[in-house]
Amino acid sequence: MLAISALSVFGIIVLFLGFSNNKSALMLAAMLSLLATFGLALYEWQHPEITPAVAAGMMSFDNLSILFTAVLLVTGILLLPLSERFLVDPKAQPAEYYAILLFSMVGAIMMVTFDNLIMLFLGLEILSISLYVLTGSDKRNLLANEAALKYFLMGAFATGVLLYGVAMLYGAAGSFSLSDIALYVQDNHDNLSPMLYIGLFMMLVGMLFKLSVAPFHWWTADVYTGAPNFFTAYMSTIVKTAGFAALYKILSVSFVGVYDYWFLMLAICAVLTLCIGNLTATAQQSFKRMMAYSGVSHAGYMLIAVASFSDKTPEAIFFYSLAYSIATITAFAALMRVADTKGSADFAAFYGLAKTNPFLSFALTVSMLSLAGIPLTAGFMGKLFVFMSALEQGHVALVVAAVLMSAVGVYYYLRVVIAMYMREGNGVAVTLSPRFRVVLIATTVLTILLGVVPSLVAGAL
Amino acid sequence: MADKLFYFLTFLALLSALMVVFSRNPIHSVLYLILTFFTLSGHYVLLNAQFIAAVNIIVYAGAIMVLFLFVVMFLNLRSETQEKTSILSKVASVTAAGLLMVVLVAALKDVNLGTVQATPDFDSQVGMVEQLGKVLFSKFLLPFELASVLFLAAMVGAVMLGRREPGEQNTF
Repeated sequence: MLAISALSVFGIIVLFLGFSNNKSALMLAAMLSLLATFGLALYEWQHPEITPAVAAGMMSFDNLSILFTAVLLVTGILLLPLSERFLVDPKAQPAEYYAILLFSMVGAIMMVTFDNLIMLFLGLEILSISLYVLTGSDKRNLLANEAALKYFLMGAFATGVLLYGVAMLYGAAGSFSLSDIALYVQDNHDNLSPMLYIGLFMMLVGMLFKLSVAPFHWWTADVYTGAPNFFTAYMSTIVKTAGFAALYKILSVSFVGVYDYWFLMLAICAVLTLCIGNLTATAQQSFKRMMAYSGVSHAGYMLIAVASFSDKTPEAIFFYSLAYSIATITAFAALMRVADTKGSADFAAFYGLAKTNPFLSFALTVSMLSLAGIPLTAGFMGKLFVFMSALEQGHVALVVAAVLMSAVGVYYYLRVVIAMYMREGNGVAVTLSPRFRVVLIATTVLTILLGVVPSLVAGAL
Repeated sequence: MADKLFYFLTFLALLSALMVVFSRNPIHSVLYLILTFFTLSGHYVLLNAQFIAAVNIIVYAGAIMVLFLFVVMFLNLRSETQEKTSILSKVASVTAAGLLMVVLVAALKDVNLGTVQATPDFDSQVGMVEQLGKVLFSKFLLPFELASVLFLAAMVGAVMLGRREPGEQNTF
């Protein structure tokens, strides 16, 4: 609660700092805001009594919500220094970007702490509307304009479907509160209104759409490719973490009683997402587009954790989203530097990178290995947690499909490594600024550290 | 009396909603949409939600529809310039939407919402602005306040996207 109030105020302060001409103060202010919010969020750890009475029944800061809040804020803190290009680009408007970024973070935190469907809807809308704007922030770029318009129209439609579902749930249970809906499901277990099923179905469609889960993933590749690199990195990490935390929260609090109904839907979507995401990613020639489909496929793994619904699920989603976010930040940091230097986001731009910048190549290799799920990286432990939570409930078929598809994943992630180490480049050197270097060191160390000693964070629950 | 009114309003709402989709001329679509909003406001009154009914007319039928009309006239859309869609995608979308309708109708046709009994403590003022304000500022205070973040983000975004850049010509 403190985190949300503080972040809203910080957003306004950063907006007004835009009047000054000192642009690097903007990034500093945004960074301090995120760090302060991170501190405030951790302050509420084990202290749910801090939450004021006004939040009663609307949002709750239990330990799981705080963990997800921490993942969101760490992602934001690691990403922020990568936006340094906005500080020198005369066409960029960093004050507005950072303010919207902080507001969108408020929405994301609402999505992991809500206790009421109204709060979920508000949080989702704050996050989505901020992202529509940020996607189109590069006004002169036709691809970015197309991406923003597509994202806006599709997203607004998905929100409509979600709202329709929420209305149906209200019709069935007579309340927006998660615990009241749970009570209704429990009390009327043999005689549930069909409106509840239709409502749940519509709500899941809306949520899965925002999470780019197949068969609702069509917008993902174009939007992720068209958006400016920095905002693509932001949306492919923050939305996944917040969305899956929200999905798990709704299902685990309100709809335990109708598990049989939603399990099948999520399981089919998970397998479909894994197949479509991984197989399409192999055919891409652009690194950025490959990362978009890789984002789709990772949604599939996280969906398996949600669908299996064992007592290990919250830990699996938490660890997986952390590992995925950190590795994705590294990948997009490399992409930003390579694309800025060579003017292309294709695999060919990465040829011979190992000769001109060994450190960047090493960091990107670690990130690719983590995304592919090779042992000794965080990504491997994340997949292990997901598969263990599925096996605990005996969903062997789901795990087999996921393992097969992660073998396909190894192919396209290693293509990047091969491009960097085994191909001849044109000798144009890719340089790194101190900010990029610090972020890359942090993400690489974190990826290896979490892969070797996952108990650092995994035991936190 | 009330149920006859309900069926009349529903018939009108469905008819005008269908006409929004089927009209060739975008201006006619917008006008039918206004009619749809009026019939929906009628439904709100039947549900004893007078304030929502008034707001629906003012905001949707008033402000937003004027914006719609303005944009449609501004862009000067013609029915001849409609994009051609292939037969295959037409068949696919009709099939998908039709199946969804069949499933929804089949699932929802047996819903029994129960009947409302008129009790002595029934408050006919429940949908008025006073009652609504009390709920909004007590039970739903937090979402009400946080909605301001949503509007602020949207406003900042609108200004950011709409602001004229240095050197940009005014084309209007």
